[in-house]
Amino acid sequence: MSKGVQVAGGATLIALLLAWYALANLESGASFAYYQSLAEFQAAELAETGRPVRVHGYVAMGSIARDVAAREVRFTVQNTPPHAGGEPGPQLAVIFASLETPDLFKDGAEVVLEGRLRGGEQTAFVADKVLAKCPSKFEGQGQPAADGGTRI
Amino acid sequence: MAELGAACIRFALLIAIAGLGAAIHAGLARRADWTRVAERGVLVVSIFVALAIGALFVAFATGDFRISYVAAHSASSMPMGYRLAALWGGQAGSLLLWLFMLCAYASACVFANRNRNRSLMGWVSAVLLANMIFFLVLLTFVTDPFETLPPERAMSDGAGLNPLLQHPVMMIHPLMLYTGLVGFAVPFAFAFAALLSGELGSTWFQTTRRWTLFPWLFLSVGIMLGGRWAYEVLGWGGYWAWDPVENASFMPWLPATAYLHSVMIQEKRDMLKTWNLLLIGLTYTLCLFGTFLTRSGIVQSVHAFAQTPIFTSVFLGYVLVTAGAFLAALLARRKGLRSPQRLESVVSREAGFLLNNWVFIAILMVVFTGTLFPVFSEALGERTAVGPKYFQLLSGPLALLLLFLTGVGPLIAWRRATPASLRRQFVVPALVGLAGAVLVVLLVGSQLTAYALGAWSLGAFVMGTIVQEYVRAIRSRMRRGEGPFQALFTLWRKSQQRYGGYIVHLGAVLILMGATGSVLNEEKLENVKPGAELAVHDYRLRYLTAEPLPAQHYGGAVARLALYRDDQPLAVMAPEKRMYWLEQQPASIPSVYSTMREDLYVILTAIERDGSATFKIYRNPLVNWIWIGGAVFVFGTLLVMWPHPPRLPARSA
Repeated sequence: MSKGVQVAGGATLIALLLAWYALANLESGASFAYYQSLAEFQAAELAETGRPVRVHGYVAMGSIARDVAAREVRFTVQNTPPHAGGEPGPQLAVIFASLETPDLFKDGAEVVLEGRLRGGEQTAFVADKVLAKCPSKFEGQGQPAADGGTRI
Repeated sequence: MAELGAACIRFALLIAIAGLGAAIHAGLARRADWTRVAERGVLVVSIFVALAIGALFVAFATGDFRISYVAAHSASSMPMGYRLAALWGGQAGSLLLWLFMLCAYASACVFANRNRNRSLMGWVSAVLLANMIFFLVLLTFVTDPFETLPPERAMSDGAGLNPLLQHPVMMIHPLMLYTGLVGFAVPFAFAFAALLSGELGSTWFQTTRRWTLFPWLFLSVGIMLGGRWAYEVLGWGGYWAWDPVENASFMPWLPATAYLHSVMIQEKRDMLKTWNLLLIGLTYTLCLFGTFLTRSGIVQSVHAFAQTPIFTSVFLGYVLVTAGAFLAALLARRKGLRSPQRLESVVSREAGFLLNNWVFIAILMVVFTGTLFPVFSEALGERTAVGPKYFQLLSGPLALLLLFLTGVGPLIAWRRATPASLRRQFVVPALVGLAGAVLVVLLVGSQLTAYALGAWSLGAFVMGTIVQEYVRAIRSRMRRGEGPFQALFTLWRKSQQRYGGYIVHLGAVLILMGATGSVLNEEKLENVKPGAELAVHDYRLRYLTAEPLPAQHYGGAVARLALYRDDQPLAVMAPEKRMYWLEQQPASIPSVYSTMREDLYVILTAIERDGSATFKIYRNPLVNWIWIGGAVFVFGTLLVMWPHPPRLPARSA
């Protein structure tokens, strides 16, 4: 057996070990579903609650309320950008159990929410994470924005 | 200015097309005179591109808001430095910068090789010109930076630059990154030219190695500055998030680094020619692909350039054609690239280098797969993405393996190592590594993860090997009567590749060990009233007051907190919450108390209506070692690159 084959064999073994290690660990939350729009989410998901999802929408104008005592931020998201005019479309109340909102989070901001729907009397989306996107006016360049949680 | 710039771009395009014709003729017919013509074409194109970018700079400096690109990315209220830097704040301008860098490299390459590599330069010019033509076409027909607004939409002032980009580091970070990314065009052109001309001897890769080191250094610095900027500006307490845009700059770095290692095997043992060519091709393709990725929007990054479908398809086509043409040339020449040498032993430096290369490629595959996961998974069904955890999980063990090889590789003998030589080389460093492991366990104790233990003890091991190498070499020189410093400088001069390389390794080890500090990170979100205190680890912070920022092109508030440790006053921290008026965008500027042990990083999240303030506080251990490691890394690379007068032929002893 040539030395090249030996080295290749060793490398394959390492690669297999690594793949096994990855598969064994990846289930613990390293991957997540790509986001749905609010309309898609409401069409598909309203009945089934409790499963973590990512939902895309826009913060309704004037809906942001910071509750310092309860340490949470409440707001409403809608399916279409509020600046576009016309019907706001379906809306959804959101509870974000943190006071740490990203810089880009404001009235009208495009957001991706990570969390789950809470049923019951007052249906609300409980967000673990709120990601705000750059307004389309700017072509932001470079690195990630503040996203309220993800870090190394 | 708009007319001048646009005219320069269009004229440069015509010259470049003519030059490409001359270059191909020169290459096919092996005509020295046509090679000169093609090279002059490169220079003339470069002059016109320089004029064009100069015109755009002037437009930004004078606030020529007739030009829609200037109006969209700057405003007269911005300080001059940022107005100029706004040139690369958007799509068209950053592509013009790409092209300008390419021209600068191409001109430097033509000049440096005016008396060397003559038989290759025809094809080298052809490859470089073809690349220029692509960007010129893009700037002429797809995204024109000099496009003017119709009079009825004319603006008296611009829209301003994204405030997150208004930071000193952001003025130079893109320049560094582009100097890195674009620079790989030259080694690519040489490799391609060697394949096209069939001159696969050793000259091209000696030239190529130098031309790779330079952009590689800048790419490394650019990536590190990007991290530094993220840390200081984005206010999320971290410096690297495995965002697609970050990954796009990291991906070409991996095969480039692999190449800088494996090219040594080619130098010493005349092996791996095909592999090295593949690495160069892969590096440049990934540079282009990264540029494409950040602009195409095919993967959602929180920040990405605005996109147009035509741009996406044109650019992707270009990346694929470039890669495909290179691969086809490589396949056609595969017979001439066979090496007469074979690997002799699995325990040899060649094998170590080979393994090192595979680890780099494995990391590349991890990053590539993770970055494009949304695209792949959509093809298979549901569109899903992977988060930072995926990257950490997979690149962690690979990084440890790489760290291990960093210590082992340079100490194993070429061809075949003997047990005796292994003992001589590894006893001391292994003991140092072991001592490091014990020390880490004692210091950190229960919070320690397997990965962190591995990284820190292997880091100690690698440092042990480096110090041992230096001590041995300096001692042997001192026995010949040199002083210790004189001996050190002789090493750096005479064996710059080896002893400079060790310093680069030292820097990389420090970076990795510093980044590993993140396993001990702590964070806290607190809402406090003025006068109240909050505690993090062994620090106490008293919130004193908040006051408005003096009005400029942004306003907002600054909070002041007194920082204590064990009743010892340390500093007054002043995190800011800014509001950029024109852009209507807030930005949190963190305040960092930085020591060798750790950073205390405070963000003013909000000033609440009831007068209290909400702070996010991070304790980030060892972050400073990342920047120190970066400086060491750069110093080491400069040692390797430093031009020394050619060595005199060795006298026979």
